[in-house]
Amino acid sequence: MDYIYDGFKEAIKLLLGFDKEVYGIIYLSLFVSTTATIISSLICIPVGIYLGIKEFKGKKAFSRTLYTFMSIPSVIVGLVVAIILSRRGPFGRFDLLYTPKAMIIAQTLLVTPLILGLTYSLSKSRGKEIEKIGITLGANKRDIIILTIKELKVDLIVNIVTAFSRAISEVGAVMIVGGNIKNRTRVITTTISMMNSMGDYPMAIALGIVLLLISFIINSAIYSYGGED
Amino acid sequence: MEISVKNLEKYYSEKQILDIEDLVIEKGKITGLIGPNGSGKSTLLNIIAGLDKDFYGVVKYDGELINKSIYKNMTLVFQKPYLFKKKVSENIGYPLKLRKVDKEEIKIRVGEIIGRFEIEDLKDKKAHLLSGGESQKVNLARALVFDPKLLLLDEPTSNIDPESIKIMEREILRFNEETKGTVLIVTHNIEQSKRLCDNLIYLDEGKVGF
Ligand SMILES: Nc1ncnc2c1ncn2[C@@H]1O[C@H](COP(=O)(O)OP(=O)(O)OP(=O)(O)O)[C@@H](O)[C@H]1O
Ligand SMILES: [Mg+2]
Repeated sequence: MDYIYDGFKEAIKLLLGFDKEVYGIIYLSLFVSTTATIISSLICIPVGIYLGIKEFKGKKAFSRTLYTFMSIPSVIVGLVVAIILSRRGPFGRFDLLYTPKAMIIAQTLLVTPLILGLTYSLSKSRGKEIEKIGITLGANKRDIIILTIKELKVDLIVNIVTAFSRAISEVGAVMIVGGNIKNRTRVITTTISMMNSMGDYPMAIALGIVLLLISFIINSAIYSYGGED
Repeated sequence: MEISVKNLEKYYSEKQILDIEDLVIEKGKITGLIGPNGSGKSTLLNIIAGLDKDFYGVVKYDGELINKSIYKNMTLVFQKPYLFKKKVSENIGYPLKLRKVDKEEIKIRVGEIIGRFEIEDLKDKKAHLLSGGESQKVNLARALVFDPKLLLLDEPTSNIDPESIKIMEREILRFNEETKGTVLIVTHNIEQSKRLCDNLIYLDEGKVGF
């Protein structure tokens, strides 16, 4: 049982000693997942709001497809991105595979159905009423989208955070397109997975603690924010 | 703004809700729309407001079909108020902001109307936290602030105390007199219709009576 105790002791040492490698990994994790979430949100929130309000043919089928994609396995996304970015793939000449950029691309694709689906479903249930009021007050299409985003702000933030949590805690996509290369594409989850299989527990435990901490902070932050409303 | 409705038919699934051959809402007048529950009053208002386009027939506004500028010049006050999650003063200023009125003038005009509605004490409150009656006043103030040419009101005073009803009726009359804006108001209150209306339309099972 000693190795567990020692593992924790070493983990705390790594964290409190500001171990360069550990913090580099944490930074890359936060950077990749935050960037992916932001890129996806900027596109998916206005689009999701618009599609939720709008009546169009095949809306039911669209909803069902979108909701299915929301739970797409991350390894599938990783695989697809890897194929596209690989040497012989359509975007091979950009030489992106095994770089943080590839990881951002993969995570953006991973959270896109999630953010789009959550926004769309929110807008479908609550957007119509806001749109109606907007129209009666003289709002054009663009005004209505902005108004709806503002009115649904709290729920949208919760959705964004949910997506970020999914991104930062997934292993499959970043592992496949990033390759878990030391000092280049190693993130929290891929490191934990690797260290675990090597039996090197201190760093795995240290990063596990950080990952837990991140999700605690995020969750308490949205609860206190959502509670304000 | 004069409204003319011709051969209007509205269905929900198979059921016919409205059947109006010819109806004119006179320009510059206050017209009351009365009739029992479920007779189609709100449905008619929604169609005139351009919110419901799923009907047969023609609705014209000063002879024109509905278009962007007509949307900008009319408003509908719903029975159930929906205010934005902003301050009361921002709610009331919103239609002016949409019309690119400059900040200083918005402040002045919002201040004016808040004074007239006697809701100074609510000005800085978050609007979605107001009581039902308070919300209805703010709702009407928000509709009047931009001087629409057509004001559609769906039971605007249904759960309001007598003192506030007086204020709201006074403001509706003032709006009509000062701006010559056309008003169409749904009400179940005959006394109210006597106090406010120049004309009355009676709707029963989707048909216009006398
Ligand atoms: N979305 C809808 N789907 C199906 N039927 C509807 C819908 N909206 C209204 N109706 C029906 O249309 C009829 C007219 O409704 P409407 O709301 O216009 O009546 P109203 O005259 O405004 O009644 P009230 O005085 O109670 O407000 C009612 O029989 C109602 O059940
Ligand atoms: Mg009604």
